[in-house]
Amino acid sequence: MASLRELQHSFAAALRDPTVACAVSPPANLAIYRNNARAAFVSALELTFPVIRRRVGDDYFRQLATRYREQSPSRSGDLHWAGRDFPAFLDEHLRGGDYAWLADLARIEWSRTECSVAVPLPALSATALARFAAHDFEHLLFGLQPTLKLLSSSYPVFSVWLANQAENAPPVDQSLGPESGMVLSRTDHTEVRHINERMFSFLSALHSGLPLGESMSRAHLEVEALTGALEFVFAEGLVSSLTLNEVPLATK
Amino acid sequence: MTRLATRGVPLGPIPARAGIGLRSVHHDALLDERPDVAFIEAHTENYFHDGGAAVRALERARANYPLSLHGVGLGLGSADGIDAAHLERVRAAIRRFEPALVSEHACWGHAGGEWFNDLLPLPATEEAARLLAQQVSEAQEFLGVQLLIENVSAYVAFEHATLTEWEFLGEVVARSGCALLLDVNNIYVSSRNLGLDAHACIAGLPTASVREIHLAGHERVGGVLIDSHGSQVCEEVWELYRVAIARFGPLPTLIEWDNDIPSLATLVAESRRAQHILDQRHGLAA
Repeated sequence: MASLRELQHSFAAALRDPTVACAVSPPANLAIYRNNARAAFVSALELTFPVIRRRVGDDYFRQLATRYREQSPSRSGDLHWAGRDFPAFLDEHLRGGDYAWLADLARIEWSRTECSVAVPLPALSATALARFAAHDFEHLLFGLQPTLKLLSSSYPVFSVWLANQAENAPPVDQSLGPESGMVLSRTDHTEVRHINERMFSFLSALHSGLPLGESMSRAHLEVEALTGALEFVFAEGLVSSLTLNEVPLATK
Repeated sequence: MTRLATRGVPLGPIPARAGIGLRSVHHDALLDERPDVAFIEAHTENYFHDGGAAVRALERARANYPLSLHGVGLGLGSADGIDAAHLERVRAAIRRFEPALVSEHACWGHAGGEWFNDLLPLPATEEAARLLAQQVSEAQEFLGVQLLIENVSAYVAFEHATLTEWEFLGEVVARSGCALLLDVNNIYVSSRNLGLDAHACIAGLPTASVREIHLAGHERVGGVLIDSHGSQVCEEVWELYRVAIARFGPLPTLIEWDNDIPSLATLVAESRRAQHILDQRHGLAA
């Protein structure tokens, strides 16, 4: 007689492949468990990627989700994170085709999932800069909100996401070209919005831990534009900490 | 002042009255309408995150109602073992929300590194009872609470089963010190699907171990009853509930409704029906 572990592995194999036998009665009812598992997984993806579903339609979404599950089955009793690799799957699956942009659209939706359950930190106002001497500004490190994600795409996916908050939105003109944007969760909602390329580079550099001066260089941000950029990051509540970069003595 | 005293409702046992399963579509309505239900029950896995709207809503609901946390993802009967990270998140949820009851299922859920996110049935054997009891014991020790273990609906039978379902559950209770959550709809569904005697199951369960009852709707697909939680409780299950209450006494009773979720008012009305039966039983006991 099979051990419990052998029995569960044989049951699992029969759930993956209907042609595999398992010692249960009636064997046809294994299809109920097979369908339950698939439906739970697909339903979790539908909740996470509503705009992708809206763009491709229910049937094709289910096909994509089912194929994705074959590659990336659930690895947890908590399905909230089942869609983690879905953008990468779409990237691989749709590369080179007319719908390659869906992968970046999925990245926006996945970012929304991540941001919406992160805990925002108290935001600093611009007056926090007054604690530092002006000559130290270039060495300041900006801690940005854990509820913030920055994304850029070769496609106008932010326009697509925003347009598809309504049903039956017309297709977005793909010739709009590359776009950058951010996803930010606040107390009661999660925002998705465009930001310009320079602001994206600036925020990305700050987010990666570079000090202010180097972040400005990376973003080709002139000193004259800095005030406006800082107004934006503080007014949007993006900054949760300011610290002075420890500059090694030898370079001081 | 302790943190517990800051709650709008005291901790302690959930009264032997009717409650409702809290689903996200009712988060706002529950706070706006404050229906007269004895307790709410939430799926533990929906409140695993550190932040977000769901956990904030449950914090607010918890300030107004006693809470039961009901896990659907641990699968303590999995022979491949307990997912330690999942168990840790259950513990974090218990510490955060301070539920009066914590429950899991007599099921397994993963094998070979794949999770099926369903309540998969265990064979009623000594081996399975020992394994489930061992892992329930480990979980109870880690979580610092007594677990209520719920019987699940079954669509298949195992040819080598040696115990009845009540013997199996009784064995798990005796070995682990857990209590039971009796899902009357699950008993009905399994008995109809597998040709078992629902009344014998209720008569055979250890009386003092049953601490909560679940009621839900099911649907018929072909010749099989599916535990779909998408409709009202059927008359046969209400009748079985009366039998269960007669045997086990009045118990906290929950209406579960997870698909085609109706308005909060409809859900509360369904719980009132359970409350009416409980009131009749209380009357008999008085």
